[in-house]
Amino acid sequence: MATAVATGSRSPRGFPRILRSPTTARVLFPFVVLGVWYLIYYTIDSRIFPTPQQVAVFMWEEITLSSGVRYSSVAENLYVQFGISLMRLTIGFFIALIVGTIIGLAMGISKKVDAFFHDWVMGLLAMPALVYALFLGLALGFTNLGPIVAVVLAGAPFVIINIREGVRNTPKELIDMAQSFEVPQNKITRHVLLPSLLPFFFAAVRYAYAVGWKGLVITEVFASDRGMGWTIKFWYDAHRAHGVIGYAIFFIIFALALEKLVFDPLADRAFKWRPKIDAVEMAEGDFGAVRSEAFLLAENQEVGEGVPMTSMEGDSRDG
Amino acid sequence: MATTVEDRAPEARSAEEERLLALRRRETQQRWIWRIAGYVFFLIAWEIASRIIGENLLPGPIRIAETIPQLIESGRFFSSFAATLTRIGIGFGLAFLLGIVIGVLTQSPWWNGFFKDAVTISLVSPSLIWALTGLVIWGFEPQGWIFAIVLTTFALVTVNVAEGIRALPKDLIDMSRAFGVNNWRRQREIVVPFLAPFIFTALRFGFSVGWKVTVLTEVFSSNEGIGFEMRVAQQLFRMDELLAWAISFFIFALILEKLVLQRSERRFFRWRQEVAS
Repeated sequence: MATAVATGSRSPRGFPRILRSPTTARVLFPFVVLGVWYLIYYTIDSRIFPTPQQVAVFMWEEITLSSGVRYSSVAENLYVQFGISLMRLTIGFFIALIVGTIIGLAMGISKKVDAFFHDWVMGLLAMPALVYALFLGLALGFTNLGPIVAVVLAGAPFVIINIREGVRNTPKELIDMAQSFEVPQNKITRHVLLPSLLPFFFAAVRYAYAVGWKGLVITEVFASDRGMGWTIKFWYDAHRAHGVIGYAIFFIIFALALEKLVFDPLADRAFKWRPKIDAVEMAEGDFGAVRSEAFLLAENQEVGEGVPMTSMEGDSRDG
Repeated sequence: MATTVEDRAPEARSAEEERLLALRRRETQQRWIWRIAGYVFFLIAWEIASRIIGENLLPGPIRIAETIPQLIESGRFFSSFAATLTRIGIGFGLAFLLGIVIGVLTQSPWWNGFFKDAVTISLVSPSLIWALTGLVIWGFEPQGWIFAIVLTTFALVTVNVAEGIRALPKDLIDMSRAFGVNNWRRQREIVVPFLAPFIFTALRFGFSVGWKVTVLTEVFSSNEGIGFEMRVAQQLFRMDELLAWAISFFIFALILEKLVLQRSERRFFRWRQEVAS
């Protein structure tokens, strides 16, 4: 910390300054990864470990549809597989959002409802996606229904937790004041209740989408014959490392694009009026920070009531 | 604060306090009633659903409760737990160290820039891709699952440690410097105690995410462990065994969380009201 400040204040000029800028470091990172990749390539005793070029060629052929690989009769290429996954994700996501919002609102408003659902929501949160992936594959077969249900099961607990916290964090004194000044109820709802709920709702959307996606691809491995999860497993089963790595990179690109192109701008717009949250939680795209922030928040809330929080939520939040 | 109030009007305070205590007690009581009602409702609903759908496809809670002792008797129970826990211990242990190192490093803007994308990628990517990538490269060798567990969980630790460092009391550190407290003592008595809650959070999060990816790696490339047993149970169409494995590990994690981590956290932070309470 101290050294960083010192170098900053000295502000060297020219080449050393460029070398020391964080942007350089950020650009450098992919090259270091490539370096490690080559290091593994030259030291590993493996016939299938690919060079970066092989993976790049594979990805290019997948994108331009010139590889000649046909995955199955229904979903022939990357785009169709991807579309199938996205469709499942979107349907499941909206169901999770609706169900989660209803239960979350009820839990936030009534302590009785909260006590009723709490442990079960936490239990669902802590279940690995693998468990319901294996179950859904047997129960529902290789249809669209299994993956959609998986998205709902993965996403809904996050929506519930966040909405519940949002309701609990509504500014009671503002509502009291508005009522004493005889502000009409619909105005209170629009100007006090909704804006204070919005950050939590937004966090819910973000988590539910990310967690739903993670749960979905695992379920597609075990309970589907198409989709992105199935496709990466296809290359794994074929024992083609370049295919697995190529698709892993497709996954990373998709997740990053979603963060940078959809959620970050949305967060910027939604929280213009609230600089604190904008700066601290959302704008950086610091997904984990939001999570732990929400968690700490939740914990503080719960301690007051003498009910311990099962902090098994991890993400969750995670498959 | 409390003493001054006591000095002024002990009777009034005790009456007020009694009223509050009674209110609190009633609230806790009510919470427990509804909590138990929730358990009864969901367990019965589950049992009924399993009777309707069929016990083989969706075993009810009674069937699962009967299966767990069978698993223990079969002898695979403890060895599977040991295998999985060893994997978590090695994989998450390494991720934890790596996460702390990166979290400390990211205090400098340069290293922050360097690791920024790595942390984001780790947080937003499904663990499935790390599991399959690691396993297709290294197969049954330990590097494969270590790769998967480390890349899935290190960023959670990093984010929490970085946040903790940002929350360090700069004024206390400055003061200790001004009074010439040596570096070792400063680290031990200011930095470490203030970082500890964040590290505990990282540990809990990391564990809850870590065991999921560990089980996933066991499904693909292992011949022991809970993930492997779950996969076998699924292939044999033994839904009761599949759920019994999942639930018994879930109970284990819950006990670990409640009895070990929360207890030690409370002991650790007795001196700090706002964390311990």
